[in-house]
Formats: sequence, structure tokens, C-alpha cells
Amino acid sequence: MRRRNRRTTLCAAIAAGVVAGTATVTAAETAIRREPSDHTFIAGAHLPPLLTASGEPVRLRYAILCGDDATLADGDPCDGGGDVYVRAGHAGSFTRLTLLRGADSREGRYFADVPADIAASPTGFSYYAVLRDDRTGATTMLPAAGAAAPQDSYPIGAAVSVALGAHRFAATQPATKRVVEARWGTAVGELGLTGGDTAARIGPSSFDVSADGTVTVLDEVNGRVVRWHRGVASATPVDVPPALDDMAVAPDGSVFVADGTRAAGETPLLRTFGPDGRLRATTHLPERTWSQLRMSPDGPVVQEHPSEQWMPPSRAAGGKSGRRLADGSRLVVLRVGADEIRVARIVNGAVHASWRVRSATPLGEVQLAEPMGNRLLLVAKVYTEADDEYDVLVLDADGVARRFSISSAAWAETAPLARFRLVGTTLYRFGSDAAGAFVDSYDLGGVR
Amino acid sequence: MKALVAFGGAFLVALAVTGVTIARTGSFQTASCNVATPQASANLTRDGALNYAYVAVYEGYQWGGGCWNNDDVDSSYGDPIGVTWPHGEGGDCSGLTFKTWRESLDTTNAGHFYWAPLRNVHGPYTAQSFRYGYGAPNGTVPKSAAAAMDGFASDSHVGMIFFPATTGGDDIVEAKCEYCGTDTWYRTYRSDSSYGGIRRLGWTG
Repeated sequence: MRRRNRRTTLCAAIAAGVVAGTATVTAAETAIRREPSDHTFIAGAHLPPLLTASGEPVRLRYAILCGDDATLADGDPCDGGGDVYVRAGHAGSFTRLTLLRGADSREGRYFADVPADIAASPTGFSYYAVLRDDRTGATTMLPAAGAAAPQDSYPIGAAVSVALGAHRFAATQPATKRVVEARWGTAVGELGLTGGDTAARIGPSSFDVSADGTVTVLDEVNGRVVRWHRGVASATPVDVPPALDDMAVAPDGSVFVADGTRAAGETPLLRTFGPDGRLRATTHLPERTWSQLRMSPDGPVVQEHPSEQWMPPSRAAGGKSGRRLADGSRLVVLRVGADEIRVARIVNGAVHASWRVRSATPLGEVQLAEPMGNRLLLVAKVYTEADDEYDVLVLDADGVARRFSISSAAWAETAPLARFRLVGTTLYRFGSDAAGAFVDSYDLGGVR
Repeated sequence: MKALVAFGGAFLVALAVTGVTIARTGSFQTASCNVATPQASANLTRDGALNYAYVAVYEGYQWGGGCWNNDDVDSSYGDPIGVTWPHGEGGDCSGLTFKTWRESLDTTNAGHFYWAPLRNVHGPYTAQSFRYGYGAPNGTVPKSAAAAMDGFASDSHVGMIFFPATTGGDDIVEAKCEYCGTDTWYRTYRSDSSYGGIRRLGWTG
């Protein structure tokens, strides 16, 4: 009888242990899976009118995104509002304009019209916005540094006008030379490829060319940079994410990489590597994403989004409209509508030279805008629903000094604005096809 | 004393067995997602869609998937690629588009249906079917005319326009890949001939 009782107690203890163990794991797992959500946010989007034509009315439009758990239950748009602070020129006090709410959100639901006297200022105007979630009172500034680094807009009433007419496809210029040709693969001299039929096809995501002609390709799929010096390839491992990263190489061989992805709640990283591939520094970029990374006289600069300003890594207060060039001037680029590109060179805060390029065929992104002495090299995509090519334009005070087109050769995806680089008077193009990736050069000599 | 040892031993064994079992069979979708009926809605605004898609940012990518919470963490980062069985968090490119565009599982129905983020649904469309405007709610649009929350689709990928950018490309909100997750990035799909312009028909504002 006593033995039976002991056995019963033992069985009960084992059963209790099993129940307690199972319950403990299940409770812990449930707690982990059902952590409370607290995704509240406010963000903005805006297309800044960086360059304005004479007499052009200026309406600033914004999209406002905001939400918390309550608003997310129905998927309705942000109940927002805000103010724009605008001034004539680029110094002094701002005038406040209240954002109005429109019926349509196609180009941004919230808008403010810049007063005609400010819009027509001969030195342009500058502005920033404070966007608000009217339900919670949360606010955000765009650009992020507000009055410390406002958006700058410049008048280009005296711009050189260029009419390109309709683009003639399939009349491309052959390259002067193919300087790099690499098959898809993992060996030194080959370049990595990922994705395919059911996912984006991503190849090496960026490239750069040094003054001595050394071509450096960011082979992020294989976790390395590959350098071609006088046709001989060498690979250096670098720790970068397998994403659409952009890259710029400094004159001393340092490699800067802007991550094409980011960790939750953070902005993308800019990684700095020594020429030997050792990680020297990581810096969080100021804004949620970027469009391009380049070298400036002061080091790497990134065109950040949503402000669209060029800024040094981690310093939103250093944001400017336009990229700083070696002579201290700035180059401002704006694609307008479906068929126009505006470019201006800004010297000491005033427009020094400007162009308005219009095309009868839709224009896509401006891949490259670089000064060549008093001229300007512009490489822009031109497209229809079925075709796309690059239009290469050398612009001067009279219009087009030279023009030719280059096939798109974009079989694999790269970082968005990483297809072209200019070194001296040689234009380099980074392309790919089913066999591999390549770099072609185009001699622009004689147009400097 | 023996009973205490037996309890402790059983507790530890149960702890281990249950833990391993959950780790092997559990997934984000089975633990967190639901099959609730979508809510019909009168409105379909572009900025409402922007807001909805922005919630999916940081929440990961799951090929063939369509369920995410809003805690800014990809709960299943690094899952195997190109298969549905990990049942991880996030939509894929077409699943994100389907839910953001408030579409119906019935391809002949062009009405607006709100799917909560945790409602697990991918929808009947692939990137390619969006590319060619298949289904009553979907149309194509010249790329040069595409605006916020219209999209660009190729045979293997689709993304929606977050906002146009000064250099002629667009900030795109998209579920890009397992290691990229879902986010907004500057892209040049507009000028890429492998992509076509697509539009949800019936925007109300």
C-alpha cells in the first residue's frame, strides 16, 4: 500500500514536471511572439524645385506619413499638417506659410504657394518645412536640419536652352576600349551574381576609376573589391552587406561603401576601408536612404533622401542643394516633368552657368553630371516603354558640343547611379550581360 | 526527495523537448498571423497606401508571403530564399503590392479591401501579372506618367513609387529580397525597359 502510494507520488511529480516544463516554454515563446507593437512614425516626402525658370510659379508639395497603432487599424492616410518657412535669398529670417490640404495626393496632399516676390528673387529662395501629425502632435523637419541647412532654390532665367528632339535608338557609339571584362563567378577576376527568375538579379553593385586608370569594382556578392590595374586583377576582401551598395575610392586608395540596406530603426551605414580591406570606420548616414555616393574635395559625400541634399556622412547640418566641386562651386541637377533636365553651376551662392535640356523622348535619371573645364558632361537615360539608352551630352555656352548614345547594357542590377564615372577626358561605363560584367571607356578628348 | 528529483528531471526534459519542437515547427506566420476577412472600404487614397506600405518597412521579406506586424523587426531574417515553407515575416514584392493596393482575391473584383498587416495573404498576382495589368483592379500606365503609389513591374519584381526624386529616378517602396527586406530605396526602374508602369485603378484621392 505504501509502495503504491510512493509510486503514485512519483508519477504525479513526473507529470507535474512535464506540465510545468511545457507550460514554461510555451509561455515564454508566446511572450516573445506577441511582444507589443509600438510602431509610431512620422515622415515626409517632397520634390524640391531646386532650379526655377523665369516667371514660374512655385508650389511646394509634401506627402506626410504618420501613424500609430490606432490609425493603423483602418489604413487611412495621415491626418497631418504643418508649416513651410521660406525666405528670399539664402540668409535672413523666414516667413511662415501654413500648409494647405488638397483633395488629391498624387503629388503630395499638402502644399504651400511661395509668394511671387520671394519666388522671383534674383538670388533664389530657401526654405524648410515642419510637418505634423495632427492626431498625436508629433513633428518632423524636412530637410532634417531645418533652418540650419534649408533647401536652396536658384533661378536659371538665363539658361542655355538645348532641344534634343526625338531620340534615335540603336545608333549607339562603340566604346573606345573595353578595359575590364569579367565572367560571372567567384575566382579572382570574376564577379559575383545573385538572384534570377524569381528575385532581382543583382551583380557587382558599383565601381570607380582612379587617376592612374585602376578600375575598382565592388563585388559585394563575393564580399570583396576587385581591382584591375593594367589589366591584372587582384581581390581584397571587404565586409559589406550583399545588397545594392554604392562605392567611391579616394586618391589614397581608401574605399567608402554606402550600405544598400539598413538595420531596423537605423539609417544605412557608410563603411570606410583601408586599401588593404581593413575596416577603419563605420558611420550612420543622416537620412533613411540615399541615391549616390561620390568623392568631394573634403572626402565622401552622399546625396541623401528624403532631403535630396548632398551632405558629408553623419552631418545633416552640412546638407546643401548640389554637389561641391574641386573649385568650391556647386553643381545642382534637377529633372523636371518627363522630358527636361536643368543643371546649374553655383559660384559664391549665385548661378554662374546653367542649362535647360529638353527632349521629345522621355528622360530618365541623370547618371552623371561633371564639369569639364567650362563645359559640362551630362549622361542621362532616355527611354520609351520598350527601349532605353544613355544619352551622353557635352554642353557648352552655345548648347551641345558633342553628343552620342550608349546602350544600357544593364542585364544585372547595380546601385542606381553607379553606371558611369569620368576621369580626365575619359568616360567609363559599367555594364553587364548574361556572360558577365565589363567596363568600357569612351574618349572625350578634344572637347575639354 | 525522490518526488522532487522526478519533478525536476521531468521539468527539464519537457523544457528541452517542447523548446526543440517549437523551434522546428513554429514560424512567424503560424504564431502571429490570422485569416480574418478583409474589410471593404470606400476610399483608396495614394497617401493612405503610402502610410500602409511604410508600416511594412523593416518587417522583412518572405517569398510568397504577406503577413507582418509593426514592431520594426524582421522576425525571420535569413530564412531560406525562394521558398514559402519558412512562413516568415514580410511580404514579397507582389504580396506587398496586393495588400497595399487593397485588392480582392477574386481577380474580377476591382473593389477596395483593407487587409490588416497581420492578415496572412499574398493574393493571386505575381510581379509578371502586375506587369501586364492582369485582374480587374490592375492597369498599366506610361512610365513617364506614373505618380506616387503607382508602380513599376518587371517579369520578376514589382515596386511602388514612394515619391519621385530630383535626379529623375524614384524612391520606391518594395519588398526586395530576403537580405534586403522591405524598405524605401532610390531606384531607376522608370527608365528601365524591363519594367513597365502599373497602376491600381480607382484611386479616390
